[in-house]
Amino acid sequence: MVNLPPPEILLQLSLNGALGGAMYGVAAVGLSLIFGTMRLIFLAQGAMIILAAYFVRALFYGLGVDPFLSLLIVVPVGLGVGWLIYQGLFRQAAAEADRNVSLLIAVGLMFLVQNLMTVIWGGNTAGVVTSYTASGIELFGVRTSFTRSMGFLIALSGTGLVMLFLRKTIVGKAVRAASEDMDAATLMGISPHRVNAIAFAIGISLAGAAGVAVATTFPFNPFAGFIFSLKALVALALGGIGNVTGALAGGILLGLIEAYVQFFISGGWTNAIAYGVFLLVLMFKPEGLFSRPYKKA
Amino acid sequence: MSRPSQWIAIVVVAALALLPFLPGAVDAYYFSFLFFVFLYAVMAQSWNLVAGYGGQISLGSHAFFGLGAYTTAILWSGNYLWGSLYDSHPNIYYFDPVTMLLGGFVAALAAVLIGLPLLSKLHGDYFALGTLGFGEIVKVIFVNGGDFTGGAFGIVAPASSFDTLRPHYWVGLGLMVATALAIRALMRSRYGLALIAVRDDEMAASANGIDTLKVKVAAFAGSAFIAGVAGSLYTFYIFHVGPDSVFDLDWMLLPLMMTVVGGTGTLLGPILGALVMYAVFDLARIVVPDYHPVISGLTIILAMLFLPKGLMRSFVGKARTA
Amino acid sequence: MANRLLEISDLEVAYGDVGALWGVSLHVDPGTIVALVGANGAGKTTLLRTVSGLLKPKAGDIRLSGQSIIGKAPQEIASMGIAHVPEGRGLFRQMTVLENLELGAFQPKARPRTKELLEKAYTLFPRLKERAHQKAGSLSGGEQQMLAIARATMSEPSLLILDEPSLGLSPLVVQQMFALIQTLHGQGVTILLVEQNIHQALKVADYAFVLQTGSLAMQGTGADLIADPEIQKAYMGVLE
Repeated sequence: MVNLPPPEILLQLSLNGALGGAMYGVAAVGLSLIFGTMRLIFLAQGAMIILAAYFVRALFYGLGVDPFLSLLIVVPVGLGVGWLIYQGLFRQAAAEADRNVSLLIAVGLMFLVQNLMTVIWGGNTAGVVTSYTASGIELFGVRTSFTRSMGFLIALSGTGLVMLFLRKTIVGKAVRAASEDMDAATLMGISPHRVNAIAFAIGISLAGAAGVAVATTFPFNPFAGFIFSLKALVALALGGIGNVTGALAGGILLGLIEAYVQFFISGGWTNAIAYGVFLLVLMFKPEGLFSRPYKKA
Repeated sequence: MSRPSQWIAIVVVAALALLPFLPGAVDAYYFSFLFFVFLYAVMAQSWNLVAGYGGQISLGSHAFFGLGAYTTAILWSGNYLWGSLYDSHPNIYYFDPVTMLLGGFVAALAAVLIGLPLLSKLHGDYFALGTLGFGEIVKVIFVNGGDFTGGAFGIVAPASSFDTLRPHYWVGLGLMVATALAIRALMRSRYGLALIAVRDDEMAASANGIDTLKVKVAAFAGSAFIAGVAGSLYTFYIFHVGPDSVFDLDWMLLPLMMTVVGGTGTLLGPILGALVMYAVFDLARIVVPDYHPVISGLTIILAMLFLPKGLMRSFVGKARTA
Repeated sequence: MANRLLEISDLEVAYGDVGALWGVSLHVDPGTIVALVGANGAGKTTLLRTVSGLLKPKAGDIRLSGQSIIGKAPQEIASMGIAHVPEGRGLFRQMTVLENLELGAFQPKARPRTKELLEKAYTLFPRLKERAHQKAGSLSGGEQQMLAIARATMSEPSLLILDEPSLGLSPLVVQQMFALIQTLHGQGVTILLVEQNIHQALKVADYAFVLQTGSLAMQGTGADLIADPEIQKAYMGVLE
């Protein structure tokens, strides 16, 4: 017999899970975009998030820039860095459609970034502590951390902006078209390199935004990124590969699963259950949990 | 392989086999270096079998390596097989081929169990993601395995040191040669042709009466068997098997990288890649100890940018696919 | 010849076991409908995909209005005025009808006029206007084919390439399709048409080429080929 805990606890669990999961979600949105056009599992996404977190930390302790204000710097820098990463590292492999090569470049980049961070900032756990780090706010009658809520807000608005771009602008539509059928897109006059570079630019700037959220919420170290990439992959599969809003929802769902497993079963099994759900979804609902099938006329 | 290169291969292997008799060789740096090259070459062949020849990108080799390593550690420390022998010589350390084969079989069994559902349902990237998830699950299971697996700490084998690396060296060399010969024979058999056919065009292969699922699962299991045996060898070297060491993603990423650098889908590519990449990593570790992982990362990127087809296809004559 | 819109000479393409081309030469004059017919695996789709840059030829030349397009990327060739409706239509099924049409006018020279071109497309395909906000994948087969053609016309191409437009459609819809092709022809659009429905294709075509296992077997006006006893025996006897 399982005694259900009181509703306040359940609400608290759900809220914490959702707020934490939104970070996986925003990482997954970036992965989803890059996977969409390039069919590349960009394993370095997590490392880029941690790199952004270190950058935010350096801005804060070095120049006194408020972490949330640094979004104004990190997001545009991320756009530029993403564009450069594509042009410098992936353009050739994408042109030859060699996906093993792209995957390995991503792995190499992950190694490089992780270890550069270790060399520059050391391998110890770091964090950003501001005057408001410990402060809390009340949401739905439950107390929660202010920074976590801000992280959630960042994830939500970041995904929202990406959605607007993809749905309302012709370039965004071209990115969606290329994700669905690259050959057909090129027949429309859409350049694969252009959409790939755009996907990368947005993906890395989302990593920047996620970095702000991570820096203000969790302690982090140079190697924390890989787990983040894995969790983002799980979120991606839950939401349906190539489905941007689904990726955010998948992240939130993953956060909820983790919070519940941790509470009801044990912290040690969180990852196994998360990946188990991931495998089941891949096998039985590979289009993701949130896809709306349309009827064929 | 053509006749002359066959002779070259025989001479090289013979020279490597006789190397331990060279005075001072056993204590030299390059001796343990070569041992690791052999180990990684075996792992690279394992990945190449399923991904290079079979066309199924697996990101779960580390799970099979770890399963082989744990199987060995559990059998060894629990004295399950040759208890009396260990009892009389508690510190004697020796290679036990039965344990090594069992390490391979456990890994292969796991590959069949996970491969049947994954390979029948998932294709391409989804299969790759599935194997990655599988690897993480196996790791968590071993972390939570209680006394049987030693939990987060793992298992320490009932031996503390070995006098010489010679046996490791020979077993490693033997495994590398045996794996290469086995894969060469396999790829010249009907099964190898079927595997290539499935990789190149699954629909056509299936239309020609090939049971594609069986072929793919067999390649996956064969690959896992090789990785499991390699994991077993590693246990005999390291003595302490823990979830963070033997299920480390490096056991999947480095062999993958070595294979691609050497030449995917070629027989000697994995060996060449293991030699070159391990040399680069190790050199960086010695020359610039603080920066060596940075150099490793850079090397992978540069290799992929400038040698995307791998060394075998870029320098060493025409590509041979079998 | 200077006034040829598309001129293919000695084209060789290696492409698996079937569908390779061995030295094919053909041409399309402005304002005409040219049909390319032949059995399955004769290399028709390979030829079209090579023209639009999706496949790279081993040898030979392809000229568009006198300018070689060999080695150019598909998106560059599209911007030069070739619109290719591929086999299977290449629609963006998850996107709406309207979005598909907008992407048809993605190229810089058409994009500023998207609204105007959209109106034009809607007059020709009123059904698409009703379905503007539906996902392309939810349309019927005939509507999807209409959308694919309408999308291709959004760039006001100098050459419209249609690969098997009647594939999988009911006979009634096939009739509509060919009527539509003739309407477009009447508006001055140059069309290169690959069809398995050889009788229909030859009826609408000004000129036609017959491909046989990667080489050109015959050519002539549509009317001549229809009357040719060999063609009747080899292709139409089986199909009609």
